[in-house]
Amino acid sequence: MEIKIGRNVLEANDLTAARNQKVFQENEVFVINIMSSPGSGKTTLLERTLEALKGEMKIGVIEGDIYTDRDAERIKQHGVPVVQINTHGSCHLDAPMIKAVMPSFNLKSLDLLIIENVGNLVCPAEFRLGEDVRVAVLSVPEGDDKPIKYPVLFRESSVALINKIDLLEHFDFNLERVKGEIKDINPEIDIFEISCKTLDGFSAWLDWLKRNAKK
Amino acid sequence: MHESAMIDSFVEIIEKQVQEYNVKKVTKIKLKVGKLTCLCPGTLKSCFDVVAEEKELLKDAVLEVEEVPLKAKCNQCQETFLVENNKFVCPACQDHHIKIVAGRELFIESVEVEENGD
Repeated sequence: MEIKIGRNVLEANDLTAARNQKVFQENEVFVINIMSSPGSGKTTLLERTLEALKGEMKIGVIEGDIYTDRDAERIKQHGVPVVQINTHGSCHLDAPMIKAVMPSFNLKSLDLLIIENVGNLVCPAEFRLGEDVRVAVLSVPEGDDKPIKYPVLFRESSVALINKIDLLEHFDFNLERVKGEIKDINPEIDIFEISCKTLDGFSAWLDWLKRNAKK
Repeated sequence: MHESAMIDSFVEIIEKQVQEYNVKKVTKIKLKVGKLTCLCPGTLKSCFDVVAEEKELLKDAVLEVEEVPLKAKCNQCQETFLVENNKFVCPACQDHHIKIVAGRELFIESVEVEENGD
């Protein structure tokens, strides 16, 4: 006998994500989910962003990591509320994990909540968390072939940050080509070229963030 | 490698759905996986075999994975087309405003079962 099922495997996650999003909206907090491969500079991006927006916006941070709390320790130095999620082997954050840590924040008092996903170019893109926007980070040393090899993340993101542009002269990284390829995958995406070390291009990213958080 | 997380949720869905029938065992599961997911059919099958082995209901089940091509429809000229080489642009009118109509699925279509007393 054949039994029709007709169900989406991710429906449980998507349902929780939609509920998370509703809570975030009720509390008027703008939520971004930052995704990239390990070592692209997500945590440094976060630190520079927190330093720049201190006093201007109230920001909370959720740090995703497989086992350690090293990134959360770095973020704590900036005096913002931060919660660590250890996924214990799992390669991505999912919506129930976010739901579980939401009571740790006073959401009403926040303007912006930044979620740093587990470093991974593949899996996190499949799991909605309840965020307003997704931000993909690609760094120069990773190579300019990453968007074309891992299109889902770039298709699903509103912003692509090309980080570590201070290293461009040391790598065969074709900036114009990669920007073209990202735009082929997602014509609506905003691309910013930045360096978290020299802060080149950083103000354009901050402007985008401030503009969108206040919408 | 998030195939194992996917398999856990889909086993849960199947176990719930067949409860209302008098099922002895599941013999086949038909799954649709879109091209624009990050899932590898081979890995899905291996993960499924590991999980199913410990479950009386599923241990003889075969997982059949159908890959769904990535299709989009142009918002301007209504052309429906296959997205190839990651070019999310309408081949007819070159417009960027397109909607993905297939290729994002991770969908359990049906299961084949043996009923008690068969």
